[in-house]
Amino acid sequence: MLSAHDVTRSFGGLTAVSHVSLEIGPREIVGLVGPNGSGKTTLLNLLSGFLAPTSGEIRFDGTAVRARRAWQPSRLGLRRTFQLPKLPARMSVLEVMLAGGRLPAGTSPWRSLLMPGRVRREEAAFIGKAMGLLAEVDLAGLADHPAGGLSGGQQKLLGLAVALMDDPAVLLLDEPTAGVNPSLRRRMADHLRRIREGGTALVIVEHDMGFIGDLCDRCLALDKGAVIANCRPDELSGNQQVVEAYLGRRRPGVPLRVVAGGPAGAKASGARA
Amino acid sequence: MLEFCLHVLIMSAIFGIAAVSLNLQAGTSGLLNFGQIALFGIGAYAVAILTRAGLPWPAALPAGMAAAALGGFAIGRLGRDLAAEYWALATLAVAELVRLVALNEDWLTGGPQGIGGIGGLFPGLDGMARALATLALAALLLLGTALVARRLGETQFGRVLRLMRENPDLATALGHDIVTCKVKVLAIGGAMAGLAGGLYTLYLAFIGPDQLLPFETFLIWTMVVLGGLGNVAGAVVGALLVTTLYAGIPFLKDVVALPSDLTGSLRVFAIGSIVLAVLMLKPQGLVPERLRRHHAQRP
Repeated sequence: MLSAHDVTRSFGGLTAVSHVSLEIGPREIVGLVGPNGSGKTTLLNLLSGFLAPTSGEIRFDGTAVRARRAWQPSRLGLRRTFQLPKLPARMSVLEVMLAGGRLPAGTSPWRSLLMPGRVRREEAAFIGKAMGLLAEVDLAGLADHPAGGLSGGQQKLLGLAVALMDDPAVLLLDEPTAGVNPSLRRRMADHLRRIREGGTALVIVEHDMGFIGDLCDRCLALDKGAVIANCRPDELSGNQQVVEAYLGRRRPGVPLRVVAGGPAGAKASGARA
Repeated sequence: MLEFCLHVLIMSAIFGIAAVSLNLQAGTSGLLNFGQIALFGIGAYAVAILTRAGLPWPAALPAGMAAAALGGFAIGRLGRDLAAEYWALATLAVAELVRLVALNEDWLTGGPQGIGGIGGLFPGLDGMARALATLALAALLLLGTALVARRLGETQFGRVLRLMRENPDLATALGHDIVTCKVKVLAIGGAMAGLAGGLYTLYLAFIGPDQLLPFETFLIWTMVVLGGLGNVAGAVVGALLVTTLYAGIPFLKDVVALPSDLTGSLRVFAIGSIVLAVLMLKPQGLVPERLRRHHAQRP
């Protein structure tokens, strides 16, 4: 569905993403993990068309994703969320939801003025859809409240719900649980599972390994912009490169105490001893 | 006195149209157009040139709107890659460019003398009847403009504009091409400003480059900011208030015997003070933007 071929992105002398190739299949949940600065968010921005790659190509459903037309992937069914949703203070929750829908008559100034009946029918259908999605994330009661006045966690849920207004085939999530309390985190995981059951593939940038382990079919670990592992989440802790990326290289002569990971971790420490 | 009141009301309606236009651009869409007077001026000059060439005003006015819409389209298109602040500066430069063209291209614009002796509205009527008919026309066109602006603000088009104002990245992520939206808003706002400019020319039977000074743009801005950015009614209220004040202070000098060189400064001072007072006491303006509720039914 979504693929990257040898994608590199540099900012001046810094290579944030280097020669990344990946492939996301339908209804897959893929985690993007890696330490701070490893290029996860940059990769997400590249995949969603918000940034142009320095070299390489990203394709979604056979179409090249181009940053000159960053709005286009969303219309084709590739949507993204933001780490900080920054929702508008002077728009209601329901209005933000409607803005996420595809309302061609209402979007055209001419038809807005000349075809009020069509605009109204279109709007009524999307209000129904928006209220249904809001009910799923427990925000239906706040539909007429200013979106920017919601709590951080509620804004994240609304950011997720608004992305679903157009039934995307692939949804890219930038740290859906950052700054979210544990009970909401569990609910977020439930929502994401339900979204996948609805037929949407998910790519999740996340720091919380427990969350990733619970949810993902597959993980891509990044370090210094390169993919260093492509495996099941439970195999991550056994991958020496991943462990080193997070914890640093072990100093020779200092025994490694393995907290989790069992034989794989023990093997790694044995190999280096 | 009555004639003066009618004059103030006609000017309020004309500048009300320009303020509604700016409110659609700046208030609804967050586009800081500091060159609004250029769009107004393009409409004004187009109507002046066309009526001078013999076109009747009901044909010249739509042509002026089209010319100003094209101007808006060009401003939006040229600066499509600029960040909001730089675009705002560019609009100011474009407005000066338009004024300088009007000042120097004598063959087309009459140069510093401007274009006078325009046929004007309702040549069959005179005196009070003519003023009343002009007021009726201007008020009707203001009402029409305000209804169009309100309608555009409440449909998906307006929702996208407001989202573009507050979070352009989110608007893009939801599949909205904000560059195209920007160009559309400027073309629509241009048509409205061109209508105001055309009416102005027809009413005063004159247009000159001095009417296109950047100060005029700021006057329209004060109307919108006083009235309340993002609210159509606010723009109309602001236009009435500022126009009354601006025209009323020179009138006041006859009553309280102020030296005439003082009145010019006094009206700018009065407008500045009112803007400050409103910004301190009611920062959202006199008629703040309302949250649009849909009285959402539960599913």
